[in-house]
Amino acid sequence: MDTNSSSRSDGWVDQRLAALDPGAEWQPDVTAGLLRLRELRVRRNWISGRWLLAATGALGFCICLMALPSPKVLAHRCLECSVAVWQSLLPSAPAQSGLKPPSGRSLAPDFNLKDASGKDVKLADLKGKVVLVNFWATWCEGCQVEIPWFVEFQKEYASRGLVVIGISMDDDGWKSVKPWIQEKKVNYPIVIGNEGLGKQYGLVGMPLTALVDRKGRIGDVHHGIVEKTATQQKIRELLQESFKDSAN
Amino acid sequence: MSTSSEAVADSNANETHLDIETLFRAHYGRVARIITRAVRDRARSEELAVEVFLKLWRNHKAQSENVEGWLYRVAVRTGLDELRRQTRQGHYERMLAWFQPPSPAATPEDIHSVSQKQAKVRSVLSILERRQAQFLLLRSHDFTYQEVASILNMNPASIGTLVSRAEESFRKEYIKRYGHE
Repeated sequence: MDTNSSSRSDGWVDQRLAALDPGAEWQPDVTAGLLRLRELRVRRNWISGRWLLAATGALGFCICLMALPSPKVLAHRCLECSVAVWQSLLPSAPAQSGLKPPSGRSLAPDFNLKDASGKDVKLADLKGKVVLVNFWATWCEGCQVEIPWFVEFQKEYASRGLVVIGISMDDDGWKSVKPWIQEKKVNYPIVIGNEGLGKQYGLVGMPLTALVDRKGRIGDVHHGIVEKTATQQKIRELLQESFKDSAN
Repeated sequence: MSTSSEAVADSNANETHLDIETLFRAHYGRVARIITRAVRDRARSEELAVEVFLKLWRNHKAQSENVEGWLYRVAVRTGLDELRRQTRQGHYERMLAWFQPPSPAATPEDIHSVSQKQAKVRSVLSILERRQAQFLLLRSHDFTYQEVASILNMNPASIGTLVSRAEESFRKEYIKRYGHE
């Protein structure tokens, strides 16, 4: 460094600043400092390496979630279940106020699917009956809450003209569904649905329940877990409508 | 100056850590002493001095410019930042207890007197404009105007005026607080 050739204004400030001089007797420990520097560098390298590894891992995980079918389905299912549970918990959950008036009902999308025994289940063939169409899946927690109610409805109202049809949306079809319906002793026909049919009924999340009147028209659609008493009431009302009345 | 120039020249051929270590051996003492002027705790000053070199090691751009100037500039800045941090926390009085006696021969009265003076100077420095405090710290470490200009990347022609203004600000603030002690 150059020698100091500049003059100072006066010594007053210098005198005070001189108090900050640590003194010649104090010498920073270079060896200890160097060791500390090496240690910090190793630590920083290690941390950087770990961050890189973690970021790569997270990226790989995200790619797996987005690309592989099973995690995607799993994520979709989690989302649907969450929606269903929230719908059932919220006080303003979409409990339907009542059935649509017969004049405002539209024709239910028809389907012809096979049940577990291979027998055709065609909606159009059930004209004259009140049909409860329930979209469900074995993995859907909300569905498992309401299916026992449908079993009860089937027992109680079958003689008066109610038919419950369960449309499973399980991806692996009968492989999951058959053991499940045997275990749960489901007493109504179950068929395997498809995405197209779900769309026709406005299926966005499981479960979905549609009530079809005797004329084959949709009297009510409920997204999420149904309210048992309200559904029972609607079924009774639909059953009370004669074929002739509902034709209006 | 020659040591750091050699270290930078070597950086093209050798591994970076060798250059940093060469620079460290050459400048660590001075960097730590600069920081100590702002920060009373010497152990803390040494820690901060190591961090200055760590910053240099991580900052590839700094390694390609005036390394020596960069080191002292960052050292002054680091010291002042620490001083302001400590001031903000209001730990000045408590930190007097951390003061390490400069020599075993110093009497308690001497220590008290020196620490009082240091505390006053540091408290004034902590409230001055950062640039002015930088001038004063570097000048108190016997850097020439030329060197101060080089370290702070400023025009050497204007340094004299700026240092005088900084000294004037210091004087006013000091007298305002402590009178002509």
